[in-house]
Amino acid sequence: MSTAEDRIGTLLDLVRERYGSGLSPEELEHVRTGVERLVEAADAMRLVPLNNSDEPLATFVPHRAREV
Amino acid sequence: MASEHVFLPIRQLGHLIRDKHISPVELAETFLDRLESLGPEYNAVVTVTRDRAMRQARNAEREILSGQYKGPLHGIPFGAKDLLATSEGIPTTWGAIPYRDQTFDYDATVLQKLEESGAILTAKLAMVELAGGMGYRQPNASITGPGINPWNKDAWSGGSSSGSGSSVAAGLVPFAIGSETFGSILSPAGNCGVAGLRPTYGRVSRYGAMALSWTLDKLGPLCLTADDCGLVLNTIAGYDPNDPSTTKEPYQYEASDLPGQRFRLGVIKGVADGADEEVQANFRESLRVLGQVASIDEVEMLEGFPSGEVTRTILNAEAASAFEDFLETGRASELTAPEDRYGGYARMSLLATDYIRALRLRGLMAREADRVMSRYDVLVAPSRATVASALDQEFRSVAGGGAPDVMGAVGNGAGLPAISVPNGFGARGLPTGIQFMGRVYEENKVLAVARAYQSLTDWHQRHPPDAMPKN
Repeated sequence: MSTAEDRIGTLLDLVRERYGSGLSPEELEHVRTGVERLVEAADAMRLVPLNNSDEPLATFVPHRAREV
Repeated sequence: MASEHVFLPIRQLGHLIRDKHISPVELAETFLDRLESLGPEYNAVVTVTRDRAMRQARNAEREILSGQYKGPLHGIPFGAKDLLATSEGIPTTWGAIPYRDQTFDYDATVLQKLEESGAILTAKLAMVELAGGMGYRQPNASITGPGINPWNKDAWSGGSSSGSGSSVAAGLVPFAIGSETFGSILSPAGNCGVAGLRPTYGRVSRYGAMALSWTLDKLGPLCLTADDCGLVLNTIAGYDPNDPSTTKEPYQYEASDLPGQRFRLGVIKGVADGADEEVQANFRESLRVLGQVASIDEVEMLEGFPSGEVTRTILNAEAASAFEDFLETGRASELTAPEDRYGGYARMSLLATDYIRALRLRGLMAREADRVMSRYDVLVAPSRATVASALDQEFRSVAGGGAPDVMGAVGNGAGLPAISVPNGFGARGLPTGIQFMGRVYEENKVLAVARAYQSLTDWHQRHPPDAMPKN
């Protein structure tokens, strides 16, 4: 498993690749802080065990237009 | 129109209108004048909708004089956070410079319902740009400048429903509609010393409202009293085929209090820890007062569970998608707050698996919160840990990871209703607030406890001295 620092670097590279041309080096440093927070949050969430049966609390409802 | 009507609750104004002691036209003119003259002092208003308001007021007057009284909101002026779509060429700016000329050819459902009830839209109210969705960290993050607090003009009113809070507090409108994704109704209500109700997710249609986070966004009223919040919710609640998330569970506001009714209140262990000294003192005093009408237990709920991370991850992922095109095209660079110009980009790297994990953990969180709360009528906590921050002060945003806010994280993540009402004053003459949070669809219990508290206190009857009408 990669370290948090590795994952932050990879995700930051993705942002830099897609949006870096519009961001200054100083702004990219701030983006790095944001990515760090995302990874911290994800790591905190991974500490909670989930069962296969724990579904997302979001119900998909198949759509069918009402016939008039 | 006598200025003594400015700080009257909706219920009293409604009676005066029904009994033809006040003219809806004169009432609208009074509040329109206040919005135009005082609104700029608080950076509270984006657009005063005078033409539409006067047309609606004349209609209301005609209907009432002909005996067609519609109910307690008939002829009552109000303001709407500027993320609610309005027709007739009235701009809907989302509080953001890039959207300053945006218009819609329809009204948001909530505005349609209010119009049908006879309420009068007098203004589109200021808000934090994109409802704070880009991670702002200080008050100067709006097309209208920092929201200014009517109790202390060096303090903030927000956010993100800044104008909705300050306009009610300053008597610019009798009530306002705000929105909350993670704190944006309760925070301005607490900062400005008014009542702010966050309904259950899905109770009020979001159709026509700017989407920040589809599964977290809620619309609700800010008013002078909890009772007024119930009156407004009674009008705006209901199923809407245009918003599939709205519930078919009916809502009817129950305003009557049972004699001798006692409540069961829970206080999450350590919920006020770390709050300002005055906030803690006012909370303790509020609990003492509430002891007259309630039993109060300390409870443990979701201790050690990453509730903040869950709700924040959902917000970040959905906001990233909602504003993907906006970020792709570089329009964020036009926003007011420097941190908003880059704040949205980090979350473009958020993994789908992390978002879905948050949605799965949301299920555990919602079930555990409901289990704990089933033993109580409401949970109680300070509305905010601090009084309003200074205009030039940086704070840590919710989206960016602020101080632990269990009530906010669980309440918003699980879609629970809550109300903030004023409970005293703290540093720099600024209000503090107390919040009551209930189980899903139990707005009436939340409102009943808040009404009971307000019947024992007079904080809601105090108004900013600078905003008092000058006869």
